[in-house]
Amino acid sequence: MAESKPTISFHDFTSCEGCQLQVLNCEDELLDILGAVDIVEFREAIDDKADSYDVAFIEGAFTRESDRKRLETIRSKAGIVVALGACACTGGLNVLKNFRGLEKSMKTVYGDSADWYETSQALPVEAAIKVDYKVHGCPIPRQEFLEVVTSLLAGRTPRIPDHPVCVECKLRENECLYHKSQYCMGPLARAGCDAWCPSYGGRCYACRGLISDPNNQAAFDVLEEFGLTIDDVLTEFRLFNGVYDVSQPPTEARVEKQ
Amino acid sequence: MLPQILPKDKLADFARFLMGEYRLAAPVAKGHQFAFEFIETPEDVGRIRMDYDITILPPKKFLHPMYEELLRFGGRDPATGEAPIQAEPTVILGAHPYDLHAIATTDAAMRAEPADPYYATKRDATLLIGINIRGYVNDEQFMADMRTTEPPEGGWDLFMTDLGDRYYVEVGSDAGSKLHQAAGMFTQAAGDDHKAKQAFDNEKASNLPKRLPYDTRYLPELMSESYDSLLWDAVARRCFSCGTCTNVCPTCYCFDVQDKLNLDAASGVRRRQWDSCQLHTFAEVAGGENFREHRSSRLRHRMFRKGKFIYEQTGKPGCVGCGRCSVHCVADISILEAYQQIADEAAVSAMEIAAAREESQ
Repeated sequence: MAESKPTISFHDFTSCEGCQLQVLNCEDELLDILGAVDIVEFREAIDDKADSYDVAFIEGAFTRESDRKRLETIRSKAGIVVALGACACTGGLNVLKNFRGLEKSMKTVYGDSADWYETSQALPVEAAIKVDYKVHGCPIPRQEFLEVVTSLLAGRTPRIPDHPVCVECKLRENECLYHKSQYCMGPLARAGCDAWCPSYGGRCYACRGLISDPNNQAAFDVLEEFGLTIDDVLTEFRLFNGVYDVSQPPTEARVEKQ
Repeated sequence: MLPQILPKDKLADFARFLMGEYRLAAPVAKGHQFAFEFIETPEDVGRIRMDYDITILPPKKFLHPMYEELLRFGGRDPATGEAPIQAEPTVILGAHPYDLHAIATTDAAMRAEPADPYYATKRDATLLIGINIRGYVNDEQFMADMRTTEPPEGGWDLFMTDLGDRYYVEVGSDAGSKLHQAAGMFTQAAGDDHKAKQAFDNEKASNLPKRLPYDTRYLPELMSESYDSLLWDAVARRCFSCGTCTNVCPTCYCFDVQDKLNLDAASGVRRRQWDSCQLHTFAEVAGGENFREHRSSRLRHRMFRKGKFIYEQTGKPGCVGCGRCSVHCVADISILEAYQQIADEAAVSAMEIAAAREESQ
């Protein structure tokens, strides 16, 4: 007796579509995924459109008021909505433009044609519609996408880490960047990437957002000792986590109001 | 079993001999620091650094791996489950005395009935060859206080001391005795060798002063007295709760168990991974209740595990004074400093109690 398979879809907003590419990069698992689910909408891979989805994955930030309607439509057609990647989860890098000023950003990008285009504060998808789960990262780790898919197929809550990147970094026995007098967001950033950046010579920018219980006081104290000013610290936070910034828009209150 | 001598220029041969029979783990450079790694090829023997200061992670990672498969299950039928408990014969070369003590502690914890079969199987298949230290390598160490500057009684196989052109090798077990005999490159230590070792020991002792203001036999009681101290809140202000201290700790052995499902949503693996009491999810249970919600209570819990609970449970040191937790702490939180401060904290609280008693009379 053939049961109909759960349907999943992918949708994109303001993003580079790299997270959907990460899904296609699950080369070893793609056939198993296709065996377990029907992908009914996925612009990056197929032309089809569908009337409903069991699980809708949304990549990209909400950066145009006119996108609200499209997001609401997806929400109304989907059983479960999963935000896919940093842009969808926290607004990602796009939020930088909020601090720069929308007009200035429009001028820089579109020059004299700036008036032709619409823009608004870059916000996470959550600012427009209810999101059930988040797959963080820039880009998303493939393993976490698979964890979410398998968990939802099994009817259980996906396990998304809520501890700092330091945990994974230490298990890889990386030399701590703080030991090399470099600053890193690791102690505040959400793990789940297996400490990609510090393991390959970079530092952590908290692309997977902050843990739910970051010690901001400790961050300010420690960074001050490293010679960083408040502005330096905020710059560091804003790269991927401007949406959490308390000193500037977009605040949660603003998200609510819109 | 009398001490043996291994000429230093035979160390590489000895390592290659070990590789013939065992997987060999040894300290190698990792950037400006050191790590225990498996030596994969005979050429890699040259990377072994017996003169390392301290490794980032302790050798516990070979006995209690950070990620470990416990069970494979094929579907919803429990009979399809398989628990592959096995271990390859392994030698850990170059463990410092404090790490040998730490392994004795994890032995006691993991082998207490019901013994952990995954740990026990690996431990039984592992030989430990220690290497002596010359003194402290950073300001956070206090092995002299924790009595971990010499190897523990038993639990190790060979223990080497660097005498310049040769290693003075003490034999700790029958397996160790068989090992050096089979290697065929050791000779029995002579008078000069013993004398040189004595000189080494005298020099070493002078490099290992005690750093706590009290004898550690009082540590568990001082911990108890300082339970309500404001010290823990003050220290926790700087704590990121990042779990680094427990991950680098040679005596921490807590783990979490998770089932990883395959895409058929029925088969998969059950695996465990290191967990940390510093993470806010550690003491969270179903329904959202968290028994150690505040980071100060988590930080205090670790200090108590290290200074009191583990010792009371196992009779072995919960902290071996290696200093890893403090050296690796981004916020410079020092367990040595905390243990120094509790002497005063406990005295203050004793005074307060006495004053309160007087007032009530």
